[in-house]
Amino acid sequence: MATLEVKDLHVEVEEEQENQTREILKGVNLTMKTGEIHAIMGPNGTGKSTLSQTIMGNSAYHITKGDILLNGESIVDMPVDERARKGLFLAMQYPAEIQGVTNAEFLRAAINARRAEDDQISVMAFLKELDKNLALLDMSQEMTERYLNEGFSGGEKKRNEILQLLMIKPSFALLDEIDSGLDIDALQVVSKGVNSMRGDNFGALIITHYQRLLNYIVPDVVHVMMDGQIVKSGNADLAKKLESEGYAGLRDELGLDVSLVDDNR
Amino acid sequence: MKSAVQDYEAMKTAVEKAANEHGEPHWFVARRLAAIDAMQDLALPEVQRYDYHRWPLMDNLTLNWHRSDKTLASDIPVAKDRIRFVQVGQTTVEVDLPDELDDQGVILTDIFSAFREHPRLTEKYFMDKVTKANENKLTAYHEAFLNSGVFLYVPKGVEIKQPIEAYLIQDSTVKQPMVSHVLVIAEEDSKFSFIQHLNTKGDETNSASCMVEVLSRANSTVHFSSVDELGAHTYSFLHRRALLSRNSRFDWAIGVVNDQNTLGDFTSQLKGEGAHSESKVIAVTTGNQSNGINNRVVNIGKHTVANISQRGVLLEKSELVFNGIGDIIHGASGANAEQENRVLMMSDQAHGDANPILLIDENDVIAGHAASVGQVDQNQLYYLMSRGIDKELAQRLVIRGFLGPVLEDIPLPEVRQEMIDVIERKLEDGQHFK
Repeated sequence: MATLEVKDLHVEVEEEQENQTREILKGVNLTMKTGEIHAIMGPNGTGKSTLSQTIMGNSAYHITKGDILLNGESIVDMPVDERARKGLFLAMQYPAEIQGVTNAEFLRAAINARRAEDDQISVMAFLKELDKNLALLDMSQEMTERYLNEGFSGGEKKRNEILQLLMIKPSFALLDEIDSGLDIDALQVVSKGVNSMRGDNFGALIITHYQRLLNYIVPDVVHVMMDGQIVKSGNADLAKKLESEGYAGLRDELGLDVSLVDDNR
Repeated sequence: MKSAVQDYEAMKTAVEKAANEHGEPHWFVARRLAAIDAMQDLALPEVQRYDYHRWPLMDNLTLNWHRSDKTLASDIPVAKDRIRFVQVGQTTVEVDLPDELDDQGVILTDIFSAFREHPRLTEKYFMDKVTKANENKLTAYHEAFLNSGVFLYVPKGVEIKQPIEAYLIQDSTVKQPMVSHVLVIAEEDSKFSFIQHLNTKGDETNSASCMVEVLSRANSTVHFSSVDELGAHTYSFLHRRALLSRNSRFDWAIGVVNDQNTLGDFTSQLKGEGAHSESKVIAVTTGNQSNGINNRVVNIGKHTVANISQRGVLLEKSELVFNGIGDIIHGASGANAEQENRVLMMSDQAHGDANPILLIDENDVIAGHAASVGQVDQNQLYYLMSRGIDKELAQRLVIRGFLGPVLEDIPLPEVRQEMIDVIERKLEDGQHFK
């Protein structure tokens, strides 16, 4: 069993204008184990993506206080690639496009990055695994010969993120709004992919605005984040409650002094 | 002490003697001598914002004949059913031209055989229609001291599916300049692609003067790619010219990945109405090397389309200057010229420049440019690294993506891979520099 712990995490980013910084995470605590699916919900601008990017190691986010531990070891000073090789995976909201590098070549490089020089995956084993996962995600062979995400539609990019997840098989996946921009069919396919990973050796943190995704990937734990903190945790029912009552309802119930971005719309 | 005049006369006499011993036709010997005279007063080619005057590009003013060891070509991949010309130094090692092409009148031969056997074609077209010896000092030097090269003639209406490859290998096991010329004539309605490989064997310090001239007749379609991979002790001048007739299409896809200083001067002249040219160049520089590249398109005919795309990657303490020159001549109404020049800096000790230069003397045209000098895209790097790929490999993959538009254009997958491999090697070498 692997564990991922976030302890009193404070994170700030530099504002684009001027030389100012802004604190986004204000003391996040979270403990996950493999075998569990966690969901983080919350209104816009509340720090959900910041949390996933900070765990992965995006250099745009600066930790001012707190720690992130993977199996008891602090990872905050590790570069991104090392964190990934230790078992973290981030399915991104906006995957980069890279011309000249085929999807298949990239996947092999990612798999081999985790293996010893003298133990690289064989072409046959790789293709077998690839075919299996393509079928699961209802993706064509042709997608793997295309350049990495280049010219992919929003839905194709999301599927491709999940394909990588299935091929790389991390201990922990952070899924950042994988439901955005997906129609209901694609949502089902993506969910099927994630659900196929469920098991004792896999944990996920699903970030979403909407409860809908959680009908397909039923979480064990739901966290609600507001203004840079987790303000409430519960089981899958919490997500349903939020869907009916909204974030403002929960805020008022908890007596929080938080202004929601979309309040004055 | 001998005077400069005596030295000069002695040089001319020596060149004439060497050319005659070589069995060259009179017209060409006369041209050599005229070129020597012309050399004296001509200026070096101008490359804006770039200084190369101290490079040893013309320090060897002798004409010598040397038989090279054929085994220097032994690492060329063996492949069946390829159309291929292989030359090591001045020695032609291999000419593979299928019989059916020979029957159709296609000529693929070394340049001196062409002078002797096809005088009507060569006397008229060699450095006369497309480029001229008196263009500058280096072109005059080239004609005066020419010592190797290849001639390709594709007759009217002939289409060749398989790319024609020329391996031109500099023999630097001896002290001797490479003065090599590729002359290509594409007659009306012909269609083919040509791939040139430039390599060096041996460690002597030499210069290379490598010229390409392509005459694209009406309605022809020609694609020219080159993998320039000259050695670490070769100072090179690469002069490439294409002249496009009516409704012809001519494209360059050039990878400048030499290991020493390179002066590149590439021009497409779109003379015929409706001609179209895409000029794509990539360059990777490492160590202390310096590359200056002019990529010029000249719109002369009406409704001509000429686009430039250049991408460069600089490592270590290297220098790279890309000049994209769009020249639209008065009368070229309806012309279209777009250019994009981008360089990627992988080291803060490197010096890179991407200069768009537009010279427009006509109102009814469309012209545009984009230029940038930048760093590796951090988002792309982060994305690849988030999958566990280490930083160095991730950088190389991002760079390959950056160079993709030119790599894409190389017609043979094996050659594309060859180019990728050379680039990877250069990048790896450069990355180890801290």
